[in-house]
Amino acid sequence: MNKMNGQVEVSICYGTLCFVMGGSEFEIIQDQLPQNIRHLVHVKGMNCPGYCNKQENGKPPFVTINGKLMGEANLQKVISAITEELTNGTYK
Amino acid sequence: MAHTNNATLIRREIITRLCRLYLEGKLEDIDRIALAMAPRNTLTNGSRCCIHKARAIIKYRIMALLGFNIADETDELESLYSYALRALAGTDQGEGVLTVVGEACTSCVKSNYVVSNLCRGCLASNCMVICPKNAIVMENGQAKIDPLKCVGCGLCKDACPYHTIIYVPIPCEESCPVKAISQNSEGIEQIDYEKCIHCGRCMVACPFGAIMYKSQLISILHKMSKADKPVVAMLAPAVCGQFRASYGQLVTAVKKLGFTDVFEVAQGAELTARHEAEELGHVLESGQQFMATSCCPAWVELTEKHLTQLKPFVSETWTPMRYTAGLVRDKYPDAVVVFIGPCVAKQAEALKYPGVDYVMTFEELGSLMIAKGVDLQVFEAEEEGIVYPERRFAVSSGVLNSVAAYYTGEQIKPLVISGLHKKNMAVLRRLATGKHDWNMIEVMACEGGCLAGPGGVSSPDVARKLFNAQSGVQTEMPAQ
Repeated sequence: MNKMNGQVEVSICYGTLCFVMGGSEFEIIQDQLPQNIRHLVHVKGMNCPGYCNKQENGKPPFVTINGKLMGEANLQKVISAITEELTNGTYK
Repeated sequence: MAHTNNATLIRREIITRLCRLYLEGKLEDIDRIALAMAPRNTLTNGSRCCIHKARAIIKYRIMALLGFNIADETDELESLYSYALRALAGTDQGEGVLTVVGEACTSCVKSNYVVSNLCRGCLASNCMVICPKNAIVMENGQAKIDPLKCVGCGLCKDACPYHTIIYVPIPCEESCPVKAISQNSEGIEQIDYEKCIHCGRCMVACPFGAIMYKSQLISILHKMSKADKPVVAMLAPAVCGQFRASYGQLVTAVKKLGFTDVFEVAQGAELTARHEAEELGHVLESGQQFMATSCCPAWVELTEKHLTQLKPFVSETWTPMRYTAGLVRDKYPDAVVVFIGPCVAKQAEALKYPGVDYVMTFEELGSLMIAKGVDLQVFEAEEEGIVYPERRFAVSSGVLNSVAAYYTGEQIKPLVISGLHKKNMAVLRRLATGKHDWNMIEVMACEGGCLAGPGGVSSPDVARKLFNAQSGVQTEMPAQ
């Protein structure tokens, strides 16, 4: 499924490092998203882009939300970032 | 039971660092891990008083990960490098599989009932009046509970009109099904190994990560680097729910880590299921009322140490681990056999049985992949080979269903015990009275089965989802 216009794009690093260091939680992100915004979010995975190689990126797991990188990501942090994108974005 | 939280992630980070040092041949730097993880002039995340304490805790975590019982420390200045050398030399590493990091234990409340500072010191003082042990006194205008006198009845909590008395659990003690963990005179928890059944519930429950399993990882790495014998991995059925990878990808990855060959424990589980079905037939024919499964080592130890009246009902069939180890030895007679699973109790089981040399957890497997730079995502999915339906041994009710598939006798009336929590412990205690008509009882110490084991990578919800998507077997609940 491709991203539709106006959707927030969430990319999760599927690399083993991120997965073991807490990224496994994102396997259930679709079920954890609030019902009312579920259709506004496009979740996809990515092979390790190497964020973990640079210390300034912070700690794993890494997720990007509309291209913005988040380190030490967890379900709650990602969901609130999505909500923020939705309120600030053009799509209402 | 395994949950992704800071306590588990710190443990994984330490395991990864430890593996890296070993693999780079820089084990002498092991004492620097604590400095690297808690550098000078940084703040701790608030749950420790200062970096010095944080470092001390990291040190003791590493001691456990080198396989030592922390309580056996005799010289506080003994370096981790010294412990590492002892581990590699194969010295005795003390009793128990679980060990308490005393520095990390915050000595939770001494009594489960605590008067909060909202107490108004009211005239009625219902709490004092109702307390059967006179454990409550009024001090500076507020009620105070004397933990030495308090017996934890909770009457005061219900009596307070301001709801100022609260129940504060001691998570490890509360989670232990056999009362094997308790506070010493300093308030630090300690484990009574005469009672401990190694279920690992306390380790998962402690919010300070103060309970660790003793790892055998360094010895496994050492065997691999010696390369004089094949080191063979056996992957427990729950593996299908632990990583974002097919079984075939996992086998490739595990071989990349340095294992000579990989066996699937579900293969041994098939033998367990067949033999257990046969045994069930004999047992019921002989007039015995019921039989219980034998694959969960924490449950079997529970019947050996506590519910001894149930011991005669436990199946004598070998566990999948033992059968699989037999298959490994048929092919590699001199192999170093390593069981990789989600389980802490398997380590205790393996100690009793000479066929399995080492036990490691999925969490250690994942950390080793990180240390070796093995990324599951880059492997092509290869041919999957046989899908053993016995992979469902990893899921509550799966053993029962597998046994039932080979069983031909009278109708099975099953009882499935999923998790050794208080309610299920009460059910098990009542079993021996014989006042029920169940004839086949499956017991797993972890809620939901091995998928939720304490040494897992993924938390139970995630593990179940991944298992359903990747294992290729059905895990529906049986009609009860």
